[in-house]
Amino acid sequence: MSASLAPECNEVKERYDTCFLKWYSEKYLRGNGKADNNECSKLFENYQKCLKVALEERGIDKLLAEAREDNKENDAIHMKRK
Amino acid sequence: MKVFSNTCSFNYSWEEVSAANWQKYCPWNEKSTHVTAVDTLSRRVDEETGILRTERLITCKQSVPEWLKSVIGCTDTSQVLEVSYVNPTEKTVTMVSQNITWANLVRVQETVIYRPLSATQTQFEQAARITALCGGWQRIKNSIEDSLVSRFKENAMKGKEGFECVLEMSRRVFAEERERERLRSQGKMMV
Repeated sequence: MSASLAPECNEVKERYDTCFLKWYSEKYLRGNGKADNNECSKLFENYQKCLKVALEERGIDKLLAEAREDNKENDAIHMKRK
Repeated sequence: MKVFSNTCSFNYSWEEVSAANWQKYCPWNEKSTHVTAVDTLSRRVDEETGILRTERLITCKQSVPEWLKSVIGCTDTSQVLEVSYVNPTEKTVTMVSQNITWANLVRVQETVIYRPLSATQTQFEQAARITALCGGWQRIKNSIEDSLVSRFKENAMKGKEGFECVLEMSRRVFAEERERERLRSQGKMMV
């Protein structure tokens, strides 16, 4: 599993990644996975709590906000919304 | 603006490729040591379409050409926002990546699509658009764009080799896991 940019988040990240990978291949790809409130949700929350601080400290949150703005048209194309 | 594109195929099913794709930058991939971290920023399944949308932040340590360092006053770490869309009905994985570092100087947008060629083969399609944004000198813009296009060329080959390693390893690990489950359920039946 790959590392987090914030070493202090590695442990919570690894726990989430492992859970997600299992969910993805065993449930999602077989057509019975929902992303909200599944077995990995709590682990994701813990990971995000740690990561959010790290992104703010490094000023990455602002760069991300700009990039997301640019990505809106891709969302429209790839989410197949009418 | 310059464009780079590349297509290749993997002798693995789409399901295997799409699962291994989440682990593309792990220690099994000895060719992508320039990726130092991968963080998931958000993830959800669209109720209507079943599409899984994921945002990841990829952190790279790139050796930047010396001349470019003097232009951009360098840092060795660069970051990319990758938004991916898994469409389980169409069986496609689409990943759109863009640089968030030096975004006011150059804009790189890469689109990668994985789709099945057959039950055991998956196609990888990659296209990148590179646009230098700095005002003024066309010559400098051209050299920035050319330098990034050749970087893409170098990495494309390494990327395929590295991902092959990850695919092989994950097939092995999945097989072992299945075997363990089989033994476990056999054990249960004996009791």
